[in-house]
Amino acid sequence: MFYYNPNPDLAALSIQTITFLVPFGGLLRSLHYWAAQLLIVTATVHLLRVIFTGAYARKRRFNYLLGILLLVVCLIFDFSGYVLRWDEGIRWALVVGTNLIRSIPLIGPTLYIMLMGGVQPGLASLLRFYAWHIFGLTIVLLIIGAWHLFRVRRDGGIAVPPPELRPDPARINRFELVRREVLAMLISGVVLVVLALIKPAPISAPIQEGLTAVDGRAPWFFLWVQQLLRWGDPFLWGVLVPLGVLAWLAVLPYLLPESKPEEAGRWFPRGNRAAQVSVTILGTAILVLTLLGLR
Amino acid sequence: MKLATVFASAAMLVALVASWIIQDRQPKPVALTPTFTGQVEYCLTCHADLAQISTSHPVETFGCVSCHGGERLALDADLAHSTMRGGANPSDLAAVEESCGGADCHNGLAQDHRDHIQRVQTSLQTTYAGAIAQMRYTFGAQADLAAHYGVQAVETQEKTNPNTPDALLAFDPSKETAPGILKFAENCLTCHLEAEPLPGAQTYRFTGCAACHTPTPGGDPEQIVHRLTTAIPYTQCNTCHNRGNYDLRSMTFQTRSDLATDRLHDYYQPIAQFTRCEYTLDCVDCHTRQEAMGDGNIYSKKKDIQYIQCKTCHGTLAELPKTTTITDPNDLALRQAFLNPVIDLKVGDTILVTDKDEPLWNIRQLPDGAYEMIGKATGQRFTFRPVKGTACQQKVDQQESRYCHECHAVQR
Repeated sequence: MFYYNPNPDLAALSIQTITFLVPFGGLLRSLHYWAAQLLIVTATVHLLRVIFTGAYARKRRFNYLLGILLLVVCLIFDFSGYVLRWDEGIRWALVVGTNLIRSIPLIGPTLYIMLMGGVQPGLASLLRFYAWHIFGLTIVLLIIGAWHLFRVRRDGGIAVPPPELRPDPARINRFELVRREVLAMLISGVVLVVLALIKPAPISAPIQEGLTAVDGRAPWFFLWVQQLLRWGDPFLWGVLVPLGVLAWLAVLPYLLPESKPEEAGRWFPRGNRAAQVSVTILGTAILVLTLLGLR
Repeated sequence: MKLATVFASAAMLVALVASWIIQDRQPKPVALTPTFTGQVEYCLTCHADLAQISTSHPVETFGCVSCHGGERLALDADLAHSTMRGGANPSDLAAVEESCGGADCHNGLAQDHRDHIQRVQTSLQTTYAGAIAQMRYTFGAQADLAAHYGVQAVETQEKTNPNTPDALLAFDPSKETAPGILKFAENCLTCHLEAEPLPGAQTYRFTGCAACHTPTPGGDPEQIVHRLTTAIPYTQCNTCHNRGNYDLRSMTFQTRSDLATDRLHDYYQPIAQFTRCEYTLDCVDCHTRQEAMGDGNIYSKKKDIQYIQCKTCHGTLAELPKTTTITDPNDLALRQAFLNPVIDLKVGDTILVTDKDEPLWNIRQLPDGAYEMIGKATGQRFTFRPVKGTACQQKVDQQESRYCHECHAVQR
């Protein structure tokens, strides 16, 4: 924020300044990049754990919805940060990604202008993405994130069977909890530093008018949507289907049978088999599409 | 648990130390803010040992990016070089307008003699329009010998000769049917400035301005030098003009396999006649910038632009060669002499000029009526006298060089 300049003419140059000229700027940027990527991975793994352990059951259904919302916020966060590079590497994805919004019947064009600040990407769009990235989304993330954690406590900690059904009814004490958290922090910190050193955050030349974008790929977490888009109608494949996936995840706890109380927090409980199967199918499909997109 | 925390902390420490060491080993950025652009660039971080390209392009004034493009702030080689114009050669004609052009540089007004780019783009050396027209006429693809096509399409902006076309279309071999034209298209276009050169040392040349103005030592393509000069030795001209000959028996172009050492015997067409000065001087000592780079008109044959004759310097029995006395300190001759200071030319000096009033700025009249020529590439000094007043028996109506050759050609 001290060096970045949200102006289409200067954004990519300011990122080059951060990456190459500011001491440890490149390392910091790569850490930021990898932390953002791994956040999507961890959030997804967390979601899968919650589903495969049937942990969203009963009173935790609402917090599960908050979690889904957080994942969506994280994805938008990542995409907005990706766009802030404003270089040749993001150009195609920016155009295609935001055009999907325009493909929504009736409200699409208005939504597009609200998001982009004009009829095509430009100064207003970059400024909006910047404001959302550093301010708007941060507020949303903080509020929902705090609420999510608060609900974990309010719902009685992480999902486990009731005390009378557990072989060891004791819970870990608060000191042990802090120790584990510090350990997790250290390990993820090392992983991030090593990743940042081995594979620095991507960077490309500033956007040049009249040239075709060098990288025609969406960011990896949207590769599956990009792959879907090849099948035809952008509104159907690019908007409705991803929203459908999201909607299905959101209504899982309300529509499908839940795990039984004694199964809470246990892997693959019989009670919510249907949910496990449907999420496995969805997850595999998304994974396969992503791998196809990576080729 | 405690052990795991200790290990993790140690790993963190190692990772942080490693990142410190990596940061410390990065080259220290070397900043340069050229006065021409006023924008800081860091190219010198890696390219500090590169020689300045010419005294006319001081690096403090122009820096690197104003000619080469590229990412001025990037210290990653791939990114920094990704947007360079024309790869390593910004003077390639595809990039030249952006790299060397601009009204402040080489895209200026014709009357100021700063229109080099427009002239080169329309010149025969670039268009090859004459040969294309010849071939298409010979094989029945066009009815006249006038130029209609060039290696690339081009439009003239400075036409002064009403008998020349306004524009050329791009020659497209895929639209031709005659086998002769197709073979010509395959073999013969590659010499001309706008076309991609053939691979291999014998046919290697630079493209654009660098084809002439960046002489490589001995014409060796491996030794690319960061240099621009108007002191162009004959070896540079030979990278195109002495590649070999078209063999009429096999109907193929035979490239030279050697690097010639003896100019008289190894060079040029075996049947051609030469006088001494034609193989001892450098080509640029006689041939002018308009001849080499064009005059803005699109011509259909070499003869339309190549006009220097023996008499340009030596005069005839009846007339002395044409001269002019420099009065303007901003005279083109003085500017050219400034670019290649082999001669101490000054206001008041009398120099030779061509029939088209192009200054032969390296040839000055001496007080005794003789002339001195300073070799543009060698700095060697030669003196010569005019034909007028000698015992030359040339007829008055036979003033072209070929008539001089009848007596003055050397034995080969």
